Amino acid sequence: MSRLVPATPTAFHRLNPLTKVTLATTGSVGAVIVGGYLGPLTILGVMIALAAQAGVLRALLRASLFLTLPLAISVVLVSVFTRAGTTVLFQVGPFDATMEGVDFAGQTLVRLLAISMSIGLFVMTTEPRAFVFDLERRGVPPRAAFVAVATIEAVPTLIERAGVIGESQRARGLDTEGSLRARLRGLIPIVAPLILGSLTDVEERSLALESRAFSRPGRRHLLWTMPDSSPERVLRWALVLVLVLAGIARITGRI
Amino acid sequence: MSFSWGRFDTRTIVLIPIAIAINIVLGQTVAAALKIPIYLDSIGTILVGVLAGPIPGLVTGLLANLIWTYVLPAPLQSSYAAPFAVVAAEIGFLSGVFAQLGWFRSRPNSSGQQLVIAAVVALVIVGGLAIYTVSRFYTGAFTFFSPEGDQSVAFQLLGWLIAVGIVGVIVGFLALLFLRRDAGVAYVVVAGVIMGVISALISAPIAAVVFGGVTGSGTDLLVAAFQQGGSDLQTAVLQQGLLSDPIDKVVTSFVVFLLLRSVSRRVIARFPQGEAAVGMERP
Amino acid sequence: MLELSGVSYRYAGYPDPVLHDVDLTLADGEIVGVVGANESGKSTLCLVVSGLAPGSVGGQLTGGGLSIDGQPMAGRPLHEFVTRVGIGFQNPATQLSGVTGSVFEEVALGPMNLGASRRDTVQRTRQALATLGIEGLAERAPRRLSGGQAQLVVLASLLAMRPGHLVLDEPTAQLDPEGSLLVASALRELAATGTALLVAEHKTDILEGLCTRIMALADGRTVADGAPAEVFGDARLTDWGVDPPARIRLDRLVRERGLDPAQVLP
Repeated sequence: MSRLVPATPTAFHRLNPLTKVTLATTGSVGAVIVGGYLGPLTILGVMIALAAQAGVLRALLRASLFLTLPLAISVVLVSVFTRAGTTVLFQVGPFDATMEGVDFAGQTLVRLLAISMSIGLFVMTTEPRAFVFDLERRGVPPRAAFVAVATIEAVPTLIERAGVIGESQRARGLDTEGSLRARLRGLIPIVAPLILGSLTDVEERSLALESRAFSRPGRRHLLWTMPDSSPERVLRWALVLVLVLAGIARITGRI
Repeated sequence: MSFSWGRFDTRTIVLIPIAIAINIVLGQTVAAALKIPIYLDSIGTILVGVLAGPIPGLVTGLLANLIWTYVLPAPLQSSYAAPFAVVAAEIGFLSGVFAQLGWFRSRPNSSGQQLVIAAVVALVIVGGLAIYTVSRFYTGAFTFFSPEGDQSVAFQLLGWLIAVGIVGVIVGFLALLFLRRDAGVAYVVVAGVIMGVISALISAPIAAVVFGGVTGSGTDLLVAAFQQGGSDLQTAVLQQGLLSDPIDKVVTSFVVFLLLRSVSRRVIARFPQGEAAVGMERP
Repeated sequence: MLELSGVSYRYAGYPDPVLHDVDLTLADGEIVGVVGANESGKSTLCLVVSGLAPGSVGGQLTGGGLSIDGQPMAGRPLHEFVTRVGIGFQNPATQLSGVTGSVFEEVALGPMNLGASRRDTVQRTRQALATLGIEGLAERAPRRLSGGQAQLVVLASLLAMRPGHLVLDEPTAQLDPEGSLLVASALRELAATGTALLVAEHKTDILEGLCTRIMALADGRTVADGAPAEVFGDARLTDWGVDPPARIRLDRLVRERGLDPAQVLP
């Protein structure tokens, strides 16, 4: 049953999914709570080190930068040029680039990178279905687990279907370029059948699932388990504690 | 009229992942295709709220954002979705409540009198909300739109565009209402505006604190404009949100309203709150 | 042994019943085919026999009710039906759960949902795959199956729950000829295992070699119930909206020409 156990090329991959997601959440929430430069940069550093160990550093950096680039442009525009500040660095038309703006933009970018790297590391080293089923083993209701896993396949299926509908509509002379009005007209004959078709699907799928005992209450014995260990348990609680302490410190003004 | 908080039967559970997929697919493609800031990325959440009830709607919103961040694989995955789970939950919950109140029902063949009353009530409510939010959140923000200000022509143009946009929406709403002779349009618009306003209020602090006020889309220009006009970041984000969110939610709600009219009764009736949402008295 | 006695069924929100006073017995090991025009009630019959009507789709079941192995099933929760009656539908795409990464997991889903131990689940899955001869598909992604293969996986998924009876509502309707053949031969394999089968089909050719009994429905009522030769030979068959099997049509054509089928046909 090799396909049920995800690929585990490195030690980091082999960590229990809950550990990896706790790490990701601590990193991303922590970056927001702590603020400034030091906290997020430390978190970034930790994630980079872990990613290097897991062999995903290049891919992770590429994905994070790609995700953050459009935001970076907006951040610069909104924070550097229009944010209130006193120390003007240079001017572009009526817009002043201030030191305060640059500082704020810098902190924002570092925080965003810390968030995307933290979560990205988890996503790149964890098989999503393994994560969800591990959660189910820990007590998450099977129907919630179903929703999470079903979404993974529902998205590509919907995209495929949209493509098919789009093709058949275009074959019937539908115009998808042009003015706003034309584009609007072009979108409705695709969106409507897509959603309507999905709704009628729900009936068939529900009946099929019922015939597989879907609505039987109670836990089930999953076919595989993700290994867990005591050190990981300790680490998870430690991370949660750190996060809580950071939150308290922030609220009470220590940071 | 009974009010239900919703049920999680098998159809609801099957609907939710499909609704989340609709959110994600439409969210990525509609705005890009239309090139206007209408995302329709809460349409699935609202569908669940309407067809299954407020609590399922709330759960859908929460799960949608959490799954988008923590479960979906690349390239669909988005690390920046999770912080807005609360907003999505609120939209799902409110849409369910409004559907239970009958606000998503079609009322075809409304009499002229009903239409006029509906239009007036809707305009009063929306107008009242507008006046309240303007007086509360936009004091001084529009100075840069006025010709006396020392700001560039671009901002004045932006200001006029916004004004035209608002007038256009009102005219469009009235046209739809009277042309379709369906008083339900008024209810849907009010529902959308309320959801939009509340969404803007909840998401502004999140956007400001976590993302420095930006989303990577065109609306960031508005935020920049308001900040240039003197607002601090959180206020600027709120000012932008209170303009774009209601429009997006009204359009989304209206799309759901139209969809409900096109789906056969048989399909809708199978959903736990389907009949309640569309009203049972139909020939 | 599955029994419907004088059952009528009406969908929720519709005033008229779709099934009127229908009797059905499905003894262990029997293979019964159900034929009828499009709105004759075949699909509804399948839903009623499997408990999904009224259990999942609502509506009202009146009359004698459904009993399985002597136990009345009225009001029982759906998961209690599943171990006694499995039901398969015509669209392979919507019957695959969408949450499994391989055919093996897909077939294992039913037993897992039933709370079976890990060992039991694996054993039942292996057995079901073997019965249908699809062990080779075990590692495949369900999304990448052909229509016919998917239907076989669905059959295996149902079998894995070890129901005594299987109901199939037009299993080949959405399949190409190759897929239909695949499913038809799988049904023959299934028949050999002793599971009782109720198969609703338009393709009477498939039913002819397979069934021990044929039931014909028209407007929600039973209009014929007997041996395949008898029912398929009935002149009223086309009135009921059913195409007789090719062999019988050919036979008739030959006789109409005044020829002797025994001499002309192979």
